[in-house]
Amino acid sequence: MDVVLQQFINGVTVGGFYALIALGYTMVYGVLKLINFAHGDLCILAAFIGLSVLTSGIGGANAGALLLAAAFLVAAVAIGIAGAVLEFTAYRPLRKAHRLSAVVSALGASMLIENGIMLIWSPEVKVFPANLLPDISWKVGSASISFVQVMIILGSLILMAGLYFYVHHTRFGTAIRASAIDQDAARLMGINVNRVIASVFVLGPALGAVGGLFVGLYYREAYFNMGWIYGLNAFIAAIIGGIGNIPGAMLGGLLLGLFNAFAAGYVSSSWQEAITFALLIAILLVRPTGILGERVAEKI
Amino acid sequence: MSRKRIVSVLGALALVLGVAVGFAANPIVIGVQAPITGQYANEGQGIEKGVKLISKQINDQGGLLGRTIEVKTCDDAGQASQAAICARQLVNDHVVAVIGTYTSGAALAAEPIYARANVIQTSDGTSDKLTAGGYKTFFRNAPPNSAEAKFTAQYLVSGKHYQRIAVLSDHSSFAKGLSDAVIQAVKADGGNVVYSGFITAGSQDYTAVLTKIKSVNPDVLYFSGYYPDGGLIRAQMEQLNMNAAFVGGDANQNVAFAKIAGNAAQGAIIINVPSPENLPYPAAKTFLADYKAAYGQDPPSIYTFTNADGFRAVIQAIKTTQSTDPTKLIDYLHNLKDFRGLTGTFSWDKNGERIGSPFTAFEIQADGSYKIVYPESAAQ
Repeated sequence: MDVVLQQFINGVTVGGFYALIALGYTMVYGVLKLINFAHGDLCILAAFIGLSVLTSGIGGANAGALLLAAAFLVAAVAIGIAGAVLEFTAYRPLRKAHRLSAVVSALGASMLIENGIMLIWSPEVKVFPANLLPDISWKVGSASISFVQVMIILGSLILMAGLYFYVHHTRFGTAIRASAIDQDAARLMGINVNRVIASVFVLGPALGAVGGLFVGLYYREAYFNMGWIYGLNAFIAAIIGGIGNIPGAMLGGLLLGLFNAFAAGYVSSSWQEAITFALLIAILLVRPTGILGERVAEKI
Repeated sequence: MSRKRIVSVLGALALVLGVAVGFAANPIVIGVQAPITGQYANEGQGIEKGVKLISKQINDQGGLLGRTIEVKTCDDAGQASQAAICARQLVNDHVVAVIGTYTSGAALAAEPIYARANVIQTSDGTSDKLTAGGYKTFFRNAPPNSAEAKFTAQYLVSGKHYQRIAVLSDHSSFAKGLSDAVIQAVKADGGNVVYSGFITAGSQDYTAVLTKIKSVNPDVLYFSGYYPDGGLIRAQMEQLNMNAAFVGGDANQNVAFAKIAGNAAQGAIIINVPSPENLPYPAAKTFLADYKAAYGQDPPSIYTFTNADGFRAVIQAIKTTQSTDPTKLIDYLHNLKDFRGLTGTFSWDKNGERIGSPFTAFEIQADGSYKIVYPESAAQ
């Protein structure tokens, strides 16, 4: 029983990263029907920017929590801006082009960011400083949960709930949903669709940036090409939940994390990924639109 | 005049000169076959410098059997084709023994030529093929590929008496090969492997597989993969309150391991051949200091030391047998028991395989430095 609980904690933590990153995929897809393959790399870029803030020494040795907050803020703002720039330079000129062109542009942007990280921060594994966060862990039976894990799980849940509220209960959120349903009709209703799209490219990466920095803080290491792995997993999470659907991305992320943990724990760690992807195929066979992807009419 | 004729005339001339100078002053010629240029130039030059240093020290003390040692170097550039040319050239130079070369491919190409000429060859090449040919003249001075697994099993089973051993690897051919060999060696030594599994390198989250491993309650976890994953595994073991000890393969030796593992790094064990400055033996420390004094730089790697060990064994053979007759020397080297080398104590089996590896187990200290804890002869 304790093992089950421990695997649950393991899975939910990882699921939190996936869910935060998956939101960016799903929002962009909801509005533009485009898979932004550069999204995973943007999120990992956030980890590196956060690392630079944390190791900058600004505020002296006792800055602690404030410096951490600054790292999150700088990373989220920087990646939000990077997302908007990406949309403006790599996707907007191709909006009327064939969809494949945009996918190729996305893959190109992914490589650009990945190699940019390598050139700026070197190809070596970068290590986050120790003792940034309190080294506390709590025992739940013989299972244990650490402060970082609690922070990640709570942080992801709060951000996801905030995004859900924003999209469903504000005027601009309504504009996003309207643009997702029918861009032309939305434009006729006086909605500035370009602004909506730009905002989606700011919001998604900014949330992903928090996810990326969580990854860095949790594992305390980052390397330039890990955006691909996290991007791929988050993309899969978005599909499991139903791409274009925000609660779906959250659910998909958590499910993927749990699948991974239980596959490794109860079947075989060698087959962990194979089992996870077999489940993905099974879900898509039964529900091709993903678990929550039922309401095709309104995807966001 | 035919080429054969020239050679015989030159030979006669050399004989006359030899007689004129006197046989007593005739130097003992030692060959060095090494990559002096090319990709492995650094290593090759280290081998040559090590051999020249030892020769100079002996010559300064009056030489060997009253004769001086003369070193002849041939650059094989790490390539098999050049190695064969070197081998013929050194044989023509009447060398007693050849030290080197660095790469297995070049050593393999030269091996049959030395064997036919009855010239001792001692190389650090790690390929299994080098000792499979049945050549009496070949003596490997470095540990073969299989030695790390044997040493690891010995440490786990006989050294620490672990009762429940878990083994984890990634999917790379290097790590998988090592973990398979370790499992096999542990079983051969009567150890109990309670878990073996894989992680996907770079996936960062190993809590799931570690939770599984924790549930089978091992007293040690051996990981054969690389340091970015090893450091994380160590940290996540701590996070999950696992009591098992951590032992990592040679790819975990990197300063970043301790940084990634953070507070959990202390007490982790890594198994590898020590770097030159960490060699615990007094003779090795002296050699290192002499090398630095002579050349103003550090030796490139442990292989400078293993090749020096090959040379030192040959010197001991010449001294003890009072002879430079290759047959006597080869016989002596095969029966050499517990030679005290710069890289640990070793012997050679009938295939010229080094028995007694220079591997050590070292423990990461609170400040991130290493302390050798096994074998006892190496622990301070």
